[in-house]
Amino acid sequence: MTSAWLMMTSSALLAQTGAPAAMAGPTLAHYLFVSAAMFALGLIGFLTRRNLIIMFLSTELMFQAAGIALIAFSRFHLNHTGETFVIFVLTIAAAEAAMALALVVLLFRRRESLDAQQWDEMSG
Amino acid sequence: MEAFISPFVLYLAIAIGAAGVFLALPRRTRGVQAIGGLIAAVGGGLAILGMTAANIADRPNVYFYIFAFVALGGGLRVITHQRPVYAALYFILTILATAGLFLILSAEFMAFALIIVYAGAILITYLFVIMLATQTPMNDDVESLADYDLEAREPLAATAVGFVLLAALTTMMFRGVPQVEPAADATAANAIIEVMPGRVETVLRRGGLLQPGERIATDPTTGRPLINAGERTVTLSSGRDARRTIAWPEGLGARNIEGVGMTLIGRHPGTIEIAGVILLMAMLGAVVLSRKQVQLDDAEKSRQARTLAGSIGEPSASTPGPERTA
Repeated sequence: MTSAWLMMTSSALLAQTGAPAAMAGPTLAHYLFVSAAMFALGLIGFLTRRNLIIMFLSTELMFQAAGIALIAFSRFHLNHTGETFVIFVLTIAAAEAAMALALVVLLFRRRESLDAQQWDEMSG
Repeated sequence: MEAFISPFVLYLAIAIGAAGVFLALPRRTRGVQAIGGLIAAVGGGLAILGMTAANIADRPNVYFYIFAFVALGGGLRVITHQRPVYAALYFILTILATAGLFLILSAEFMAFALIIVYAGAILITYLFVIMLATQTPMNDDVESLADYDLEAREPLAATAVGFVLLAALTTMMFRGVPQVEPAADATAANAIIEVMPGRVETVLRRGGLLQPGERIATDPTTGRPLINAGERTVTLSSGRDARRTIAWPEGLGARNIEGVGMTLIGRHPGTIEIAGVILLMAMLGAVVLSRKQVQLDDAEKSRQARTLAGSIGEPSASTPGPERTA
C-alpha cells in the first residue's frame, strides 16, 4: 500500500516515460529570474565578504545560477545540449574548488588569517 | 510583444530586494540582519508572484515556488551568515533545492549528479578547509568570531552593483528580446531509440509482445536495426524471411539519461577529453600548491604555538616559553 503510493508519487515527479511536453515562454522566464537573482546574490557575496572561503563559496553560487539557466533553456528547447554543458560547469567548479582551496590553505599558513584584505598589496 | 511582468512591479521588487540584502549583510549591530532577510524575501516573492500573476495560464509547477524560495533563501544565508561553517551548510541547502528545480525541469540525471558532485564532494572539501583554517569559537558569542567575518566590505556599493545587474538581466522580460517559441514536439528526442535495439527488445519482452525466437530485424545493407521513430513502428524477424512490423510499444521513449549520454558522447566527445585534462591539471596544481612548505623563523613559530595554546585555553599562554636561542 505504502510502497505503491511511493511508486506513484515518485513516478509522477520523475516523469520518465517519453520526452516531456513543451514549456511555455513565461514559465521559462520564472526560472531565468531565479537564475538571475541567484547570480546577483553570488556577485554581492563575492564583493562584500572578506573571508576567502566565503568568497569562493559565492563563486559556486554563481555557477549554480548558470546551471539553472542552462537546464531551463535545455528543457525549453527540448534538447540535451544545455544539460551536457552543466556537466562541464560541474567539472570546472570541481577544478576551481581544488585549486582555490589549495591556495587558501597556502595563504592561511603564511598569515594565519583568511582575511582577503591582508593580501591587498597584491593588487599593485 | 507581450510582457512577462509589468516593469513597475519588477523594478519595485528589485529595489525592495536590494534594500533587504543590504540590511541582511553582516554587520555589528544585532537584529538588523533578520529584518533585512524578511524584506529581501518580500522583494523576491513580489517579483516571482508578479510574474505568475501576469501569466496565470503558464504558471510553473507548485514545487517551483517551494524550491525557488528555498534556493534563494539559502543563497542569501550563504552570503550573510557570519559563521563560515553555517554558510557552507546553507550552500548545501541551496544545492538540494536547485536539484529539485532540475527535477521539475525533467533533468533527472543532472539533479542527482549535482547532489553527488556538489553536496558530496566539493562541499565536503570546503567544510574540510573551513575546519582546518578557522579556529572554532569556544562559546556561542558572536564577538568571538574573527573580525573579517563580522563586517561586510562596502555593502552599499556591492548591493547596488549586484541589483543593477539583476535589473539589467531581467529587463529582457518585457523589452528587447522577442519571445522565443518553444520547441513544438518531441519526436526528434525519440530518434535516439532507433540505435538502441537492446532497450526496445527488453521493453517488448516485458510487454509480452515478443514471441520466442524473435529478434529485432536489421537492414541487410546498412546493418541498422529496423526501428522507425517517426512512424512509431518496430520490425521483428523470427527466421530468414519471416518478418512482421508491429506498433511502437506503450511507454517506450527516450529517457533523460539516454538523451544526455547520446548528446555528450555523440556531439561533444572532444570536450569530455578537455574536461579530463582540466581535472588532471587541477589535481596536479592542488598537489604542488599545498605541498609547498612555508619557511617560518623561530620567533614566528613560537608566536604561533603561543596563540594555539591560548586558544585551547591552557594557562601556559600567560607564561611565555623560553625563546630558543641555539
